[in-house]
Amino acid sequence: MKKHHNNPDSCTACTVCIANCPVTAATRKFRGPKMVGPTLERMRLSHEDVEPSLEYCSNCKNCDMSCPSGVPISTLNMLARAKYYKTRKHSLRDWILSHGEKMAKLSAATPGMANFGMKMSRGILKQIGISEKAPLPPYAPKSFSKLFKALKQKSYPDKVVFYPGCFINYNDPQVGMDFVAVMQANKFEVIVEDGLVCCGSPLVVNGFLDEAEENAKTNIQILKKWTDKGYPVITCCTSCGLMLKQEYQELFHIEGVQEYAKHLYDAGEFLLDLHDQGRLNTDFGTLNEKYMYHSPCHLRAQGMGLPGLDLLALIPGLDVQDVDGGCCGISGNYGFKAEKYDIAMSIGSTLFDKIKESRLDTVVSECGTCRLQIGHGANVKTLHPMTLVRRAYEAKQK
Amino acid sequence: MMRENDIIVIGGGLAGLTAAAVAAKRGKKVMVLSLGAGTLTIGGGIVDVIGYLEGNKPVATPSAGLLQLPAEHPYKKIGRPAIEDAIKFFKEICEEEGYPYMGNLDTMQWVPTAAGTIKPTCLIPKTMNTEELQKANKVIVLGFESLKDFYPQLITKNFKKISRFKDKEYETVMIDPNLAEGRDVTALDVARWLDTEEGISECITKMRKVIQPGSVVIIPPVLGTRPNYRIADRLEQALQCHFIETASVPPSITGLRLRTMMVSYLKKIGVRIVEQATVAKSIVEADKCVAVVTEGIDRERTYYAKSFILANGGFYGGGLLAEPGKVIEPIFNLPVEAPEDHEMWANYSLFSNEAQPFAKLGLEVDEKMRPLDADGKVILNNVFVAGRNLRGYDYSFEKSGNGVAIASGYQAAMSV
Ligand SMILES: Cc1cc2nc3c(=O)[nH]c(=O)nc-3n(C[C@H](O)[C@H](O)[C@H](O)COP(=O)(O)OP(=O)(O)OC[C@H]3O[C@@H](n4cnc5c(N)ncnc54)[C@H](O)[C@@H]3O)c2cc1C
Ligand code: SF4
Ligand code: SF4
Repeated sequence: MKKHHNNPDSCTACTVCIANCPVTAATRKFRGPKMVGPTLERMRLSHEDVEPSLEYCSNCKNCDMSCPSGVPISTLNMLARAKYYKTRKHSLRDWILSHGEKMAKLSAATPGMANFGMKMSRGILKQIGISEKAPLPPYAPKSFSKLFKALKQKSYPDKVVFYPGCFINYNDPQVGMDFVAVMQANKFEVIVEDGLVCCGSPLVVNGFLDEAEENAKTNIQILKKWTDKGYPVITCCTSCGLMLKQEYQELFHIEGVQEYAKHLYDAGEFLLDLHDQGRLNTDFGTLNEKYMYHSPCHLRAQGMGLPGLDLLALIPGLDVQDVDGGCCGISGNYGFKAEKYDIAMSIGSTLFDKIKESRLDTVVSECGTCRLQIGHGANVKTLHPMTLVRRAYEAKQK
Repeated sequence: MMRENDIIVIGGGLAGLTAAAVAAKRGKKVMVLSLGAGTLTIGGGIVDVIGYLEGNKPVATPSAGLLQLPAEHPYKKIGRPAIEDAIKFFKEICEEEGYPYMGNLDTMQWVPTAAGTIKPTCLIPKTMNTEELQKANKVIVLGFESLKDFYPQLITKNFKKISRFKDKEYETVMIDPNLAEGRDVTALDVARWLDTEEGISECITKMRKVIQPGSVVIIPPVLGTRPNYRIADRLEQALQCHFIETASVPPSITGLRLRTMMVSYLKKIGVRIVEQATVAKSIVEADKCVAVVTEGIDRERTYYAKSFILANGGFYGGGLLAEPGKVIEPIFNLPVEAPEDHEMWANYSLFSNEAQPFAKLGLEVDEKMRPLDADGKVILNNVFVAGRNLRGYDYSFEKSGNGVAIASGYQAAMSV
């Protein structure tokens, strides 16, 4: 198994990462992955050095994906950002964007008021530095955990643990419900644990590394109980997936993470593995539909290809084409920030143009915030692959 | 099993991408496992076939050069007809993608470099063609303020020493892209500036002030980052001038265009590319490879296929590893003959006229590109080797890197 290594000295200064960094392409204010990552890291090892342009890295991981020498550039950037905030105060804006889970819980305390409140407070959000144009997601009337609890699942000996993550839990619970339906169609029972917290990805990108580590410990403790027994843990959100298995290892030193990471799966990947074992329910109805597919950077970074796309290829009649338009620009909450909004839109413009050229009205993608940004930038509807898989099962039953 | 592929290509450099394209065009189900973005983005984006022979002897044309190579050279195993077909295939891809390359085996193309020298090659983007330059009486060398690595005066000075370019009148001009803010300016930044509508209109306005219609203009490789000629055509039309890009230093814009084009083409013809996939080992049964295994930070993943093409580069790409006293091919553990005495690996005299012994180390193959053992026996029947990991050539010395990558990638995929 590959061990991560945070060694900046593996950098040969080949500049491939610069050519592949979407933020470097969009703004000259960012000095670029090589300078901000490995080059400065060497200096940071010896003395305290503040690099203001570090603020611009979106942690999209395109640099890591392109580096021929395996330097975890984005992680070096996030560690440096955390170090920066060790001695400085965070803005209120960054606190709010990093603590979506806390915000969601607060809003849930005043049911029905949350989304109304959100509209009202756009002005206030603008005041604190959240772009008024940003596609902030509304809260769902009922969270995934509420919907899940009300659901009567069939019990099966095969079980998987589902990690919903904040976005699915509070903003887009239907994706989680679709996932459960798909697993049920494959004779799996889905377990959802109560004590799980935000994976920590939004905390890391805003420099709240210590808090993210606390979250990591909480999640690992709960999930490890299952993975130790060999149960798979599945995510439908690619950023949660990347965080839970890769960034926990790169950023923190927590006992036993390497063992636990072996049992973490993306939903599409898990179902394709079932297919390889001849165990996937392929009793799909025909869906005579046509879509574009966008691959989230955080999925591409996981080294498993595009399992969602391969999975959808099994559904009769369904035609799904990879847009291949690169990063959408949003990168978690990067594109919500007032000073980053234009950068994010400029990064996403290639993707948006390609989607518009296709003249299709719906785009499929695993990542919730990619879906928000694509809906906003290309003015189309969006879907998670699990929704289509569920529909294909239902089409058969009709 | 749905995920069994016909062919798995290991490595996403030019050799692997070409092999994948050829195989997919032959109707095979192809998957590329690739780590990093390959050396294409730092290489020149031009296809050298053969420029020099041992002893630093220049060749008149690639065709002539091919005839004079030693038997151990990969080209000799591939053979002239396949090399020609490979080039034709490559040029067809470029044509289809709207970024046609020009050149052929019977002509040596000479491309200008940013140092004011010229370099022999075979296939080039249209923007590097020097025909107009040779015809012109007056040449303008255009630089950009604050752009490092491109000094018009240096180019002019050195061009005057080159026989085919010396009897011309040179003028150097500068324009300011106003990109000084933020970070050092590279050709990539200027190219990205020209990618935007504001950038190109601003650039045209500024160019109008310093260049006359009808000029031949040498500029750094900044004519857009995308694999097409839209920026070049737009400038030529607006200014009624002819633009010639020089070969670039990393990050190479012409290399970036070539890679973007290849990857986009592969996706269109249904090749699956798995990024961040580091192949660590293979599962071999008798004389066949059954599967290869990638190592991730989470777990290993096994990929099955009927055949495999090993195109993971040489010492630089990661396909060969140097250890004290030996060279290792890490995935199949194929034999690499290397002098035990480390001292023998390199030719230590600086600027010598001889190729570097270590650069010629690599895997021995038969004419189908299958790996051979020391006795010349095929080791694995369904594994084919392509690109920089092949034995018997020093690409940087003889100027043959991308040519061997394309020809061997083609041959490997045709042998499957
Ligand atoms: C600076 C520079 C400039 C050059 N300029 C020119 C030029 O102008 N013209 C020319 O013709 N040639 C040029 N060359 C040479 C040319 O680039 C190479 O010879 C040629 O492209 C080699 O292609 P390749 O596919 O064999 O190897 P590479 O391009 O090295 O590709 C190998 C690929 O395999 C991947 N890989 C490695 N190990 C693994 C693994 N375990 N699992 C999965 N993937 C793996 C690597 O990441 C890489 O993507 C240049 C080379 C350099 C370094
Ligand atoms: S993570 Fe993304 S934005 Fe940050 S340096 Fe890497 S490529 Fe650029
Ligand atoms: S791609 Fe990797 S090796 Fe190359 S400059 Fe960037 S960090 Fe360094």
